[in-house]
Amino acid sequence: MQTLKKYALIAFMAASTIACKKDKENIDTEKPTIDISAATAFPKQCSQIRRGSSFTFRAKLSDNVALGSYSIDVHHNFDHHSHSTEVEECTLEPIKIPVKPFVLVKSVNIPGQPRQYDAQFQIDVPADVDPGNYHFMIQVTDQSGWSIQRGISVRIIE
Amino acid sequence: MNRRTIFSLLFTCSILHPACAQEKATKTIGLKEVYIEGGRYKKSAEGAMSIDVLTSDSLQKYQAGSLMQTLSRLPGVNAIGIGASQSKPQIRGLGFNRVATVENGIKHEGQQWGLDHGLEIDQYSIGTAEIIKGASSFMYGSDAIGGVIRLSSPTELQENGLKGHVNLFNRSNNATYGGSLQLQGRNGNWVFGAGATHLGYADYRVPTDTVYVYNYAVRLKDRQVRNTAGQETSFQLRGGYVSDRFSSIFYLSNYHTKIGFFANAHGLEPRGVDTALYDRSDRDILYPSQHVNHFKLISRNYIVQDEHKIWVDLGYQRNYRQEFNNYTAHGYMPPVYPQDMTIPMNLERLYDKEIYHMTLKDEFALATHRLTIGGNVEYQRNNIDGWSFLIPSYRQKALGLFIYDQYPINEQTMLYGALRYDHSNIHSSPYQDWFASKLENNQSAHIVRADELRRSFNSLVWSLGATRQMGSWEAKLNVGKSFRAPIAQELAANGVNYHYFSYEKGNPSLSPEQSYQMDLSVALRTGNTYIAFTPFFNYFSNYIYLNPTSGYDQYYGAGNQIFEYSQSKVRRYGAELKVEYRPLTHWKVELLGEYVRSEQLSGSKKGYTLPFSPAPSLVLDLSWTPKSSTYFKAPYLSLDSKWTASQQHIVPPEEKTKGYQVLNFRAGTQVVLGKSALQLRLQVQNIFDTRYMDHTSFYRLIALPEQGRNIVLSVGIPFGKQNGDQQTH
Repeated sequence: MQTLKKYALIAFMAASTIACKKDKENIDTEKPTIDISAATAFPKQCSQIRRGSSFTFRAKLSDNVALGSYSIDVHHNFDHHSHSTEVEECTLEPIKIPVKPFVLVKSVNIPGQPRQYDAQFQIDVPADVDPGNYHFMIQVTDQSGWSIQRGISVRIIE
Repeated sequence: MNRRTIFSLLFTCSILHPACAQEKATKTIGLKEVYIEGGRYKKSAEGAMSIDVLTSDSLQKYQAGSLMQTLSRLPGVNAIGIGASQSKPQIRGLGFNRVATVENGIKHEGQQWGLDHGLEIDQYSIGTAEIIKGASSFMYGSDAIGGVIRLSSPTELQENGLKGHVNLFNRSNNATYGGSLQLQGRNGNWVFGAGATHLGYADYRVPTDTVYVYNYAVRLKDRQVRNTAGQETSFQLRGGYVSDRFSSIFYLSNYHTKIGFFANAHGLEPRGVDTALYDRSDRDILYPSQHVNHFKLISRNYIVQDEHKIWVDLGYQRNYRQEFNNYTAHGYMPPVYPQDMTIPMNLERLYDKEIYHMTLKDEFALATHRLTIGGNVEYQRNNIDGWSFLIPSYRQKALGLFIYDQYPINEQTMLYGALRYDHSNIHSSPYQDWFASKLENNQSAHIVRADELRRSFNSLVWSLGATRQMGSWEAKLNVGKSFRAPIAQELAANGVNYHYFSYEKGNPSLSPEQSYQMDLSVALRTGNTYIAFTPFFNYFSNYIYLNPTSGYDQYYGAGNQIFEYSQSKVRRYGAELKVEYRPLTHWKVELLGEYVRSEQLSGSKKGYTLPFSPAPSLVLDLSWTPKSSTYFKAPYLSLDSKWTASQQHIVPPEEKTKGYQVLNFRAGTQVVLGKSALQLRLQVQNIFDTRYMDHTSFYRLIALPEQGRNIVLSVGIPFGKQNGDQQTH
């Protein structure tokens, strides 16, 4: 027992010293980021959007190597299914059944594989959609296939 | 510790150890646990492979929440787990459809491809579990490309009588209460066996109050993972006639489980839930949940005719899996579930699979050669239902023809050879969305997700092996080629998996995976020492892999990231080490290490590893087995410590996982009561309630820690005629 322990320890120490060198990594293991902290960024958590109006989605996207594409998805949260990724909670209206909820799905290829990109996309909100709590999902990929999601709670008001 | 350190340590230990182990004259101690035994497999086709065996006794000793979690203590074996009670096998870093599970000679078929689909087998019904590490396509065809988990019912009684035992168990972490009854009987040549198991458990506990699904903080009530409770009920029945010249046994079994998924994260998607409803009880199963039923009927037969032993195995299985969830509209799905739908509103997915199987083989001697020739046929029918689509319905036929040869050169050396031809064809059905999506031209249309597809595949694989005994050393070498035919999901998936933010796209032009492998095993057995070192090397010329691309699909994928099946060259290597050393009669030290490294050599993920690569790990176990006394028979105490290194090699969408150390304690004894003896067992798993994440766990991606401290208690009550060994070996 003793001998084994001693030898195991010696072997272990010897091995650790020999093997301290880290594997060299030349592959990308970092996800892109979505920055909505700038004053011009929109929407932000708990932002309000008036129906029948237009707004511009603005976010700063970045990656350590090269960005791929982004996608936005707006869907209702009338059932409080949540999945906001934000810490801050917004006030929720009572649960209700959707009649004509606003739905938007849009994917955009980011041209030129940049490391930084200011995403801007104009969105028209029809005047007849259900007002209430919505989710504004932003997804971004980089060229290696890493992706990041932000789920922002917004509210469409009359 | 990085992985290289552990690998070096394994290697150094394996080289140094023989030099430092002192020769001690000790007799073999009766604790039969995990062992690799050369002699046992010398005369079978897998003789040149590295095989671990666990008997029902050890399965109970190491009992964890699911069969694969119990087996995952073995080096080279891991469980891809979902929660505390469901898991699927992984051997040397390959899992899903790359590991075949074979029960009583028939390949177990469920929906192996799914991350959240556990293995539908009752761990209390198993007599022996054998793990064949390395590709065994030459024996079991497609799917055995990574290895085989071979399970057998308890061996039949040798003498007339009826005996059995009741096993009652309790696990503290998720308040599991369960019982299992196993019965065996024999009258002359007629044999009989039966078993029944039922268990129920509450939501399991993790060492944290809050889980962060992305940044979304989920508070856990009493540190319990919301809605992970479940139930499991199964029964087995077997019987037949056994003699030296003829045997015919049928095995009938049914496994049923009902289990909830973590309510705050369906897949990767954070979910807000009504905590008042979900936290009312920790034993209720709300949505999302799954119900799985697996029915199996097997008939195994052999007849001995002169030099020939002819086997006929027949099997029928039905795997019925339902996945339930509240209807939540995503993408272009209608906001309110339409009233005229025939699919039940809470049925997210349903898979109904039937499998017919037949194997015929003839074992015979020809001069000094021992040959086996045979073939097998299989037919699968898979139907789908539910409002969410991932894979289409399909029919699949497969045929395999094989020949094995064993040829002893001399007393010490044995050669093995195998050749196998496989043909399979798959016919998948078309599928169209039940709801309309907006297309590029701004029109609305019910998207055709899958076209009708017919593919057929042919493969010729081979294997060559040798074993050599050199005094107390034994060496095994096996080289070969293996294959795996692409499955329906890989060929024809075309659906949005909203819970993974992914749009999975099959590739109908995939070719069968081809793999070349070399497995080596060097073992030393002396009076008090057993050492086995089993390195391997493996090259895939076209590994099939779900590749996360940089694109989103606005129309077919409802704006989700495109994950596309593609093929790349992959190199894998690694090793396991097992050392058992008995410094004194009643003491044993055990060292179990594993290391595996995979690298993609081509394609868009060149340089990346494969998904779910297990981190290197090392188990050090110290056991004390004091002498039996009048009242206490075969007592044992053991403490084992498992170190797992961090996993830095990842591939999108994985996260790096930190290393950890977990300590487990085990004790047990038989308490003699008159003529019989109660078997008492205790385990304390994760003694220090360590918070860690397992890289091969389903919930790793949402950073949910693994189960906290768990005290497992079991009592085995034998009854009936107790002649001979109680256990199977």
